[in-house]
Amino acid sequence: MSTHTLTLLDAVRESLAEEMARDERVILLGEDIGRLGGVFRATEGLLDRFGPERVIDMPMAELAIAGVSMGMAMRGLRPVAEIQFADFMHAAMDHLAGEAARLRYRTAGDWTCPLVVRTAYGGGFRGGPYHSQSVEAFYAHVPGLKVMAPSFPDDAKGMLTAAIRDPDPVLFLEHKRTYRAITGSVPEGEHLVDDGRLRVARAGDALTIVGWGMMLHEALAAAEELAALGIEAEVLDLRWLLPLDREGLLSALRRTGRLLVVHEDTLTMGLGAELCALAAEAGVLRAPPARVAMPDIGGIPVADRMEDAVIPNRRGIAEAARKLMGERDSSPLGGEVPRTARGRGTWYDASIPEAASVVEVALPEAHLEAVVAAVAEACAAVPECNATFTWEGIQLHDQVSIELDLGPLSPAGGGGTFTLVDYGASGSLLGLPAVRPGQTAALRVGAVRGGSAYLALAVDHRAVDGAAAGRFLAALRQALG
Amino acid sequence: MILDLDRAYQVMSTARHMDERMWRLARSGRAHFAVPCSGHEAIGAAYGLALQPGHDFVAPHYRDLAAMLALGLTPREVFLHFFARRDDPCAHGRQPYAHWGSRKLGIVSLQGPQPNHVTHGVGVAWGSKLMGTDQVTWISFGDGGAQKGEVHEAMNIAAVHRLPCVFCVENNYYTQSVPSRLETAQPEIGTRGAGYGIPGESVDGMDVEAVHSAAERAIERARSGEGPTYLEARCYRFLPNTSNDDDTRYRSREEVDAARRCDPLLLLRQKLDAARADAVDEEAITVAAEAAEWAEGQPAGDPEDVLEHTYAHTS
Repeated sequence: MSTHTLTLLDAVRESLAEEMARDERVILLGEDIGRLGGVFRATEGLLDRFGPERVIDMPMAELAIAGVSMGMAMRGLRPVAEIQFADFMHAAMDHLAGEAARLRYRTAGDWTCPLVVRTAYGGGFRGGPYHSQSVEAFYAHVPGLKVMAPSFPDDAKGMLTAAIRDPDPVLFLEHKRTYRAITGSVPEGEHLVDDGRLRVARAGDALTIVGWGMMLHEALAAAEELAALGIEAEVLDLRWLLPLDREGLLSALRRTGRLLVVHEDTLTMGLGAELCALAAEAGVLRAPPARVAMPDIGGIPVADRMEDAVIPNRRGIAEAARKLMGERDSSPLGGEVPRTARGRGTWYDASIPEAASVVEVALPEAHLEAVVAAVAEACAAVPECNATFTWEGIQLHDQVSIELDLGPLSPAGGGGTFTLVDYGASGSLLGLPAVRPGQTAALRVGAVRGGSAYLALAVDHRAVDGAAAGRFLAALRQALG
Repeated sequence: MILDLDRAYQVMSTARHMDERMWRLARSGRAHFAVPCSGHEAIGAAYGLALQPGHDFVAPHYRDLAAMLALGLTPREVFLHFFARRDDPCAHGRQPYAHWGSRKLGIVSLQGPQPNHVTHGVGVAWGSKLMGTDQVTWISFGDGGAQKGEVHEAMNIAAVHRLPCVFCVENNYYTQSVPSRLETAQPEIGTRGAGYGIPGESVDGMDVEAVHSAAERAIERARSGEGPTYLEARCYRFLPNTSNDDDTRYRSREEVDAARRCDPLLLLRQKLDAARADAVDEEAITVAAEAAEWAEGQPAGDPEDVLEHTYAHTS
């Protein structure tokens, strides 16, 4: 498939033009969308190409734009209405939330409403209280509507195309700062994104940051700052705000266990509350969830420094993420434990029923690689020691992911399936390791004295019994030959 | 086309006798909600018989039972809707009575907040125009609804684009309890069309022939591409606003009794053979009773269905 580079605004226009060419039922209505090409130029050139019957300049009447479009949709057309600014959507809400969203239900499918309402939302360009609002929370509370908010140009095209073909009403939210600031590769010709799934915008396993629109891009920038600190954040582009991709979110959180939601909409009763509740109900979090959002204020001020003070940005997101990583953890086993060092990965849970067993083996001073390899072999031989507690039960792993704890300056990072502690020559002769909450076993290598060292295996007795621990140590000794 | 007066009387009498039966059923607790049409029958019968059923569209007023019958909803179907039965063709147990709707019959689904359907009707009419058909959309609403801002927006748009629709305000001089003088400072609301460049007229809504004649002119204008017409049909609601209303709090019995002397059924009977009219009334009573009894015995709206139809596809 050939692609070309477009701004998000160009991608919106390309979708409109291609769908209008494909289906003559597609009609555009809105204020200033014809001769002017829209206040943001999303419909530029479409009047000349498709004529005034299909690109209709409407009076300044948002309520009727929504209501008349709904009537057209009932009649069998595929109207795409533009409300210039999301701030003006409130006047149209009666027809979108009260009527279009309920029509299918109230007639048990006899009448339907394949309507799209596009609107430009979001702040950051000195628009003041009535040209900057984010309105998604109002509409994401309306069953029967679909709410889409793309963050990238390819999605803007593919999702708008999906919205136009959707049999149900769609509110299509375009962040006005992304219109020209966000450029990307977009497939030429037909491009449909209708899977209803969130998009992984950045891979990472330390925590999950969820955003959409311009905030998604701020989250991506924050993730780069975090990476410099050694925190690899996963960034999810929610993009379908209603219906929600619940499974996509929860499966990500089952890996990271930490959730940070970012939205430009105000905090209280915002989408962040729903996402945090979903995660909490599903029991997938290892730390309390966090939100970064617009404060609950009566509007976005126009003065530069005032606006900048309230719109969430990468600094605030990175700060919230660092705080989330340093928060007290609650393990899936139920014990809530403090970290021994804030921001470090060494932690323990006193409630874990540990059992320990110690053997002495011949070991050179430089032995780390050999021990790691031996642990991997032993883990493969005794998978009970290479397991994690999940909410469904104890999960044995085929892959071995060894966390290395090499001392206070290089603690374990978290996220592995087995912990190996080796403080080298500076370590003590014999120390019992702590089993990390969530894991089932850990091994500590004592300091080498006279060509040998003690290896202490600690296990969580609920997952590993004495026989298995014995087999593990036997496999370890054999591998170290 | 000349109005068939016998047919008009049959529609009006059936609506009246169904209305009276529904009123008693609701007030005796056997149904949730009645919305009387008594006093509005001539308007509904007139436009219902002037349109082409199943071809033209209507975005109707909730008092237009007579029009629904003229357009093809059967008394049994109306009572299924009234009792919120499973097979209610308008709303399948989801909306209260008088929230009409039938895609097959071109009856645009009516909502609760009045009169949002005016705007939907304008969109439906616009769709017909863009599709190049000759279908007309009849849009009726009350004098209360006429005061709402979106009627202004909708009429303005219909005028700008010369859309094939008719606006008909059924003026019974009350918005539930609020009288005309508190609705508008210009009581001649039939003149409002002029402000939009829409021709219009005000007719006696108790006189089915007068309404039919005006309706035919308006429908012909719309069908021939000359744009919308605005009609005021003056009438009176004989019963309370709904079965939840108490109209003795806001209007005198003398006023209601005086209005009943202009009953549209009485006016029409004067033009008919009395024995023939009596026979029609007898049949209407029987039809209403039979349909009500049959529908009451049908399966109730089913909780199994309650999660269906929010979206086309459930994910």
